[in-house]
Amino acid sequence: MSAPSDNMPIPAPAIHSKPLLVRHLPYFIGAAIIVALAATMRFDGYVHNILLQATTFSIAVFGLSVVLGLCGQINLAQAAFFGLGAYAVGIGTTDLHVSFWVCLVGGCLISLLAGAFLGMSTLRLGGHYLAMVTISFQQIVTLVMINAIWLTRGPDGVPNIKRPELFQSSQSYLAFCVAMLAIVGYLVWHLADTKLGRAMRAVRDNELAAGVNGIDVFRTKIYAFALCALLGGLAGGLFAGGFAYVSPDQFSFAESIVFLTMSLLGGVASPIGSTIGTGLLILIPEWLRFLKSVPGLYLAIYGLFVILIIRFMPDGIWGFVADAFTRWRAKTKAPPAAAALQLRPATVGGDTVLEVTGLSKHFGGLKAVDGVDIAVKRGGVHALIGPNGSGKTTTLNVLSGLYEATAGRIVLDGTDITHMPPHQRTAAGLGRTFQNIRLFRSMTALENVEIGAERPGNTMVGKGDDALTERAMEALTFVGLGNRANELISSFSYGHQRLIEIARALASNPTLLLLDEPAAGLNSTEKLELHELLKRIAAQGLTILIIDHDMTLVSEAAQHITVLNFGRRIADGESLAVLRHPDVVSAYLGSE
Amino acid sequence: MRLTRRDFAAGIAAGIAAPYLIKGAHAQGATIKIGMCAPVTGPAAESGGYAIKGAKLALEAVNKAGGILGKQGELIVEDDQTTNPGIVLAFSKLAAQSDIVGFLGSIRSTQVHAMAPDVIKLGKPVMIGGTDPNLTHMGNQWLFRCRPNDSYSGRVIAEYGVNTLAKKKWAVLHSTDAFGTAGGKALTEALTKLGAPPVLDQGYANQSQDFTPVVLAIKQSGADILGSYFTFENDLGIFARQLRQLGVNIPWVGSPSIVNITALKLAGPALYNTYGVADYAEDSSEGSKAFGKIYRDAVKVAPDNQSSWTFDAVNVLAQGINKAGTTEPGKVREAILAIKKFPGAEGEYNFDQNGDGLHGYNIVKNDKGKIVFDKHIEFND
Amino acid sequence: MDLALQLLFTGIGIGAVYALVALGFVLIFRATNVVNFAQGEFSMVAAYLMVVAIEAGLPYWAAFIVALLGMALLGVIFNLGVYYPLRHRTYLPVIIATIGASILLANSVLAIYGPQPQVLEGWFETPGIQVGPVYLDSQYLLIIGVTICLVIFNFWFFEKTLLGKKLQATSQDKEMASLLGISVSTMIMITFIYSAVLGGLAGILVAPVLFVSIQMGSTIALKAFAATIIGGFGDVAGAIIGGLALGVIETFGAAYVSVPYKDGFAFLVLIAFLIFRPQGIFGERVAEKA
Repeated sequence: MSAPSDNMPIPAPAIHSKPLLVRHLPYFIGAAIIVALAATMRFDGYVHNILLQATTFSIAVFGLSVVLGLCGQINLAQAAFFGLGAYAVGIGTTDLHVSFWVCLVGGCLISLLAGAFLGMSTLRLGGHYLAMVTISFQQIVTLVMINAIWLTRGPDGVPNIKRPELFQSSQSYLAFCVAMLAIVGYLVWHLADTKLGRAMRAVRDNELAAGVNGIDVFRTKIYAFALCALLGGLAGGLFAGGFAYVSPDQFSFAESIVFLTMSLLGGVASPIGSTIGTGLLILIPEWLRFLKSVPGLYLAIYGLFVILIIRFMPDGIWGFVADAFTRWRAKTKAPPAAAALQLRPATVGGDTVLEVTGLSKHFGGLKAVDGVDIAVKRGGVHALIGPNGSGKTTTLNVLSGLYEATAGRIVLDGTDITHMPPHQRTAAGLGRTFQNIRLFRSMTALENVEIGAERPGNTMVGKGDDALTERAMEALTFVGLGNRANELISSFSYGHQRLIEIARALASNPTLLLLDEPAAGLNSTEKLELHELLKRIAAQGLTILIIDHDMTLVSEAAQHITVLNFGRRIADGESLAVLRHPDVVSAYLGSE
Repeated sequence: MRLTRRDFAAGIAAGIAAPYLIKGAHAQGATIKIGMCAPVTGPAAESGGYAIKGAKLALEAVNKAGGILGKQGELIVEDDQTTNPGIVLAFSKLAAQSDIVGFLGSIRSTQVHAMAPDVIKLGKPVMIGGTDPNLTHMGNQWLFRCRPNDSYSGRVIAEYGVNTLAKKKWAVLHSTDAFGTAGGKALTEALTKLGAPPVLDQGYANQSQDFTPVVLAIKQSGADILGSYFTFENDLGIFARQLRQLGVNIPWVGSPSIVNITALKLAGPALYNTYGVADYAEDSSEGSKAFGKIYRDAVKVAPDNQSSWTFDAVNVLAQGINKAGTTEPGKVREAILAIKKFPGAEGEYNFDQNGDGLHGYNIVKNDKGKIVFDKHIEFND
Repeated sequence: MDLALQLLFTGIGIGAVYALVALGFVLIFRATNVVNFAQGEFSMVAAYLMVVAIEAGLPYWAAFIVALLGMALLGVIFNLGVYYPLRHRTYLPVIIATIGASILLANSVLAIYGPQPQVLEGWFETPGIQVGPVYLDSQYLLIIGVTICLVIFNFWFFEKTLLGKKLQATSQDKEMASLLGISVSTMIMITFIYSAVLGGLAGILVAPVLFVSIQMGSTIALKAFAATIIGGFGDVAGAIIGGLALGVIETFGAAYVSVPYKDGFAFLVLIAFLIFRPQGIFGERVAEKA
């Protein structure tokens, strides 16, 4: 996808930290101890059943922590996926006489496929549609479980479900489930720090910004959804083996809501939170039995708590605790020092980096952009100006792929990008910032910039997470914020957030950098700093296309200016000449 | 609402801790303990209340008459939340108390299915009210049923319609939940045996808002009699009204819900002159009348099968333990299976080797909104 | 043919119920971009209020007014307690909060009133009339009539009155509306009140047909939501057409395909629509302004 380039990957100085598995050793030791306890401690049947339920449900809730917590998509059908896994084991081990393991894997696959299919058909829509479609799916699965008696034995359910030979006793089966919980928990926990996990978080925080930073939003959502379904299926399979009986009413819409609440209560973004939430929602009804003499009272209080948790603890119990910890840690942990940022924009095409011909964008009858030509020369700063409503931002959005062009052609460094989605344009070497800053608000400055550095086709980053972090640190240091890398976005001033957004684009080593009104909202000192920064960027040979009202900034920084009015190009050429052009003067004085 | 996040967190912490502090210690007494899983919460919470009252009334009577093995009986109730996972937890909580000698399970068949594996593991007698015939035919020797099972209700409906009302062209309508499916199957089988296979066998999903297509199907099938298994009263009410509105007036024999008080209130005249099978009918026997009087005195509402089966279950269990002379489960089991001609509220108990205590149903008629006992049909096989 | 006519009437009757509830969804969605999952519970609460008011001895019309006033109050509480504190967050927390509210409402009524279904008499004495081969249930006739009136009223209200235009301006562009001196929070409050009253009206109208029960709202609401998507989200006429279409599809599907899977048709149609004709139902794709 990305053009071959003459910039060579520079050997990244390796940071010799301990391997991941060693750093996470305490987790595995802790998990091993808990598994050993589950295998050896004597429980009575009641405690055993509660533990088994909590363990299997937790795995299903982990699924939600991926789709809802990491990726920000809603899934109101987790009980259906749970049920698919449970029925696969139930029917498989009884009617079909297949080994437990085959059934478990089969159930996971069925759930995975169902989740992926559902995701592919609706994740483009997102939001409320997704909520509705998952409810529909849930209802259909329930109806089939009840009515397809030849397959599911109908409402009677499937009794006498088998367990694997290896874990026949209740005790060993519980230990097995706890071990699965520990492994899945580790994977989900670690997922957040992988490339896919970061992509999911970026999609959750800001789909638009994720797209223009090279993330395939749609595919990321499908991965998250399919993974969630897979974990649901796995949990269901384990549940069926544990309780030896499944029936349709265990996998109803109401159960999906229970899963959702478990996830919210504990903290939607982390496996620890999921486990806490699941445990509490299984235990609380047990503790509150005294409340239950009035039918409905307990559930009414439960409903009230859902509202209150959303209102006062948006990140759940664990989020509440972890948030305090992160704030404390961010203040104490000093970020590593970084080398100077290298920008080596690719050069494949000739002198012209961006060649726009006959570009049009019509909204219904409104011609927002109409037959515009722009040629941006390599190296240096090119400005696109025009009065309010002249079509500047629309042009930029068509360039970065947020709008589909009605007509015209866009060639970036020899590659035709006219019909590419945003993330592919980014891969082709386009970087941009937004007029209203679009950062991933739940992440630190460093994590934001890392997402930029992860651009597919970025040749400036070596292999591995450490190289990524290093590149991101360089970019942050370049804009002067290296010492605050581990702080959350919310603690930065508006001007600094703008710099982080620029750093995010720079880390990806773009061929062309689009800046959408970078000076908007900045005070005069910050504007001066920005001007200095643009000079330093230009000095490294990176081409910049800037859109701004600020005539001082434009006239000082840009060598070349294109002027739009009413969606058409009215002037183009060397800065000073254009600014004196009579049409330009009248366009500005006449309208503003 | 000036509530900060911090206040809210503190509130949650206090809420979670409270049950530990409130939890009082129960003193161990010299009583014989009977465990009971009942829906204290959930959709069946109200009938769960009746069930608990029925069991308590029986235990009071048993205690007055000398108790169980000379000791006072004590009932320990756990909430099954009207769900399957709920009853599994409730039962295992009871099962963990080793001094409980016998149990009352659920009136819902799926719940009994759900708890059945744990029952086998525990190996103590559990009295049940679920009417799915399979429950006592799947090799679980610890389940004892204190209501007639659905194979009998189906046979009774078929017997009454074919032989007493002399109708042969049947439409069978049932809900697609566990209860309705099993009932519909039993009725269809019984009709086929009597040489009158149904001309229409129609299922419907619970909480339907409209039955027009079903009514029209019945009309078109040319059936001259209707047999039905409805689970929820509002479905029954909507169906009954639409049936009459669309001009279908064939005789109708239904499962117990058709004579349920709520159904009578909802459907009103639409249910006049229908017949229902009832495991409990107040005028069907001396035992039924006696229970009716005790229950009306104590609870001030009309008795129904929700309370009569638990009343009988406690009595049968106490009788079994007393006959066995011990609480040793195997002996108690033998003693219960040996119970014959025991007069209960639901009818006369004659346990068979499967653990089914009752083998017949009452037919009652809706006479302008009043339920009158018509006849009892008993089977010996 | 007679059969089909009877099915068509019932389908339109049921569809009109979906359409009424769908209308409430659409209004709130347009004003706040939030789908209110407690909309069905509004219908249920109104029906119970009506039962309580009649039991208290009020005449039918007075009970009707009391119930609708109660719904207006519920709309205010719902806005202040559920939507307003979360108005600056994304749609997700708000959806979940409305789900919480629906659990809270349903179970509060259960705790206060118990689980048995109740009877609410219809407005008319006669249960229905026979027209040729078709039996017309009087309550369904009333529901269809009210739906037609509401469509006309909504058109007049949103297109011809100043308040209606202000509400529309708010739902289309909040920032612009506030620049024009419209109080956005007041407009949203009015929307919630109006939606709660509409939902309540639907509940009171269907109660004589479906009886008054805790679950009466939730099943209708799910179908109504499906109807809004099929008809075209955010569009009043779409909600009505979607509702009617769904009612008819369901009734004919039950008669000619399968009764037990009846509830599945709505959702199958919905998923099919979303997969094959998403553009067709939204019209212009809505892109976020960069």
